[in-house]
Amino acid sequence: MFESMIDPTGGWAASATDGAPRAARPDRLDGLTVGLLANTKRNAEAFLEAVGELLAGEHATAGVVRRTKASIVDPVPAATLAEMVELCDVVVIGVGDCGSCSASAVADGIAFEAAGVPAAVICSDAFRVTAEAMAGLRDSPGYEFALTPHPVAPLDADGVRERAVAVLPRLVGLLTGASAVPERAVAG
Amino acid sequence: MSAGTTTDDAVLLDHARAAAEHAYARGWTDGLPVVPVTASVLEEFLAATPRARDEVVARMPNLGREATVELVAVNAAMAGCRPEHLPVVLAAWDALMAQRVVTGGAWQSTSGPAPLIVVNGPVRTALGINSAGGVLGPGFRANATIARAVGLVVRNAFGVRPHELEQATQGVPGRFTLCIGENEEESPWEPLAVELGLPPGSDAVSALLLRTCEFIDNRHTDDPERLLWDIADTAARTGAAIGHRSSAGLVLGVEHAQHLAAAGFTKADVQQWLYDHAVRTRADLDRAGKDESGPDADPDEPVHLLPAPEQIPIVVAGARNAAMSMLVRPFGFTGWSRTAHPVQLR
Repeated sequence: MFESMIDPTGGWAASATDGAPRAARPDRLDGLTVGLLANTKRNAEAFLEAVGELLAGEHATAGVVRRTKASIVDPVPAATLAEMVELCDVVVIGVGDCGSCSASAVADGIAFEAAGVPAAVICSDAFRVTAEAMAGLRDSPGYEFALTPHPVAPLDADGVRERAVAVLPRLVGLLTGASAVPERAVAG
Repeated sequence: MSAGTTTDDAVLLDHARAAAEHAYARGWTDGLPVVPVTASVLEEFLAATPRARDEVVARMPNLGREATVELVAVNAAMAGCRPEHLPVVLAAWDALMAQRVVTGGAWQSTSGPAPLIVVNGPVRTALGINSAGGVLGPGFRANATIARAVGLVVRNAFGVRPHELEQATQGVPGRFTLCIGENEEESPWEPLAVELGLPPGSDAVSALLLRTCEFIDNRHTDDPERLLWDIADTAARTGAAIGHRSSAGLVLGVEHAQHLAAAGFTKADVQQWLYDHAVRTRADLDRAGKDESGPDADPDEPVHLLPAPEQIPIVVAGARNAAMSMLVRPFGFTGWSRTAHPVQLR
């Protein structure tokens, strides 16, 4: 009944799929170049910098490529994406700690996956739902990302490093495929 | 009325209620009932605008979603608009899309900002858009449904829904209910659309996003500078500042506007005065945890909280029955577009 009532969404709700590609994972991170894609939220760059140092110290990664997105809401610029895909073996993205940037970080992670580079996205736990909603919007329902407790912005340097230490195993798992991921999302 | 007619009526009304429930079940409503839209209703709306049905008028680039005239028309009809309201809804989207914050994540923001839609010109009278008593409140179909139509586009066409892609911490009272006419008939100054460059008599819409409204009740002074001090004190409240940056505009009551104009103030004078006096010292900001100048700064140094005089929008609206006004707080720091957008009538 009511089939003649016009759908005010334009049909997007019915068109979602789960077919977005996910990059193949390396077994280990030794010798790999790590991209750090930060947004402009307070402590995002410091957080990713700490992650880069920990990856080098504990997993023998080879170097880092740092880039910062000027816009917290827009997708990573195509030129930045292409450059990082060229230079990096894996990418860490964050920190999603606001209404639009959490979703944007997940969209960027999915864009790197589609370009063949494994990505690990960090969001604060307050924005898990919107990050998941963006994953659905980008045809990647169930896309996995790393959570850190909210808030991130007021942390001092030691607090940021503690967060990086805490989330590191999860990031390594996401980048190497060691964490459980939904079967349907593992396709090439 | 015969018993048979009563029964038919009751059946129809049961169907109407079921249709409303169907829209709820599909997630298409903002919490209030919506009007079911059929193909014939849609055509009625499209006949009210000269714009092509496939013209894209609203978009969210970061989500890859957009809304055509047709999709806006569907949501306007659902919101309770009349077909003749559609040109104003479309102009409201023209105005909103000119705001950098609108494509900068505002609909998803923790701030939960509310669009303020301001209508100028004879279209106010033609459509019954209230510009006088109770202008910010309920009771007027055009005001209520035009603003609601904007919100339904955000919800339905963009899929930005609370607890999902929409992450408002608390939201703003008046979100998707604020559409006002300027009280041009009682304003002492030129209409906003004329100030922004359109010819006198233009039907036009301006828009900005708000963090909140705060009242200024000042009916006991005949000194215009005392009134302005009262407004500036409200504008300089530290709670509204992010760091040392704040914003303010005015939905100025008719009595305040006439009082200031009679004392020789133009709108530009009022904007300049408020910019000059919406000031706090670094010590004030530091006390509230909002000084970003570092330990070497002079604690008595005055800091302008508002970005620039011309970034203080002033609209005259309301009844001439008490000397009160509303300070409004534009959202974000990328600036108001200072544009008025023509209403394209058939």
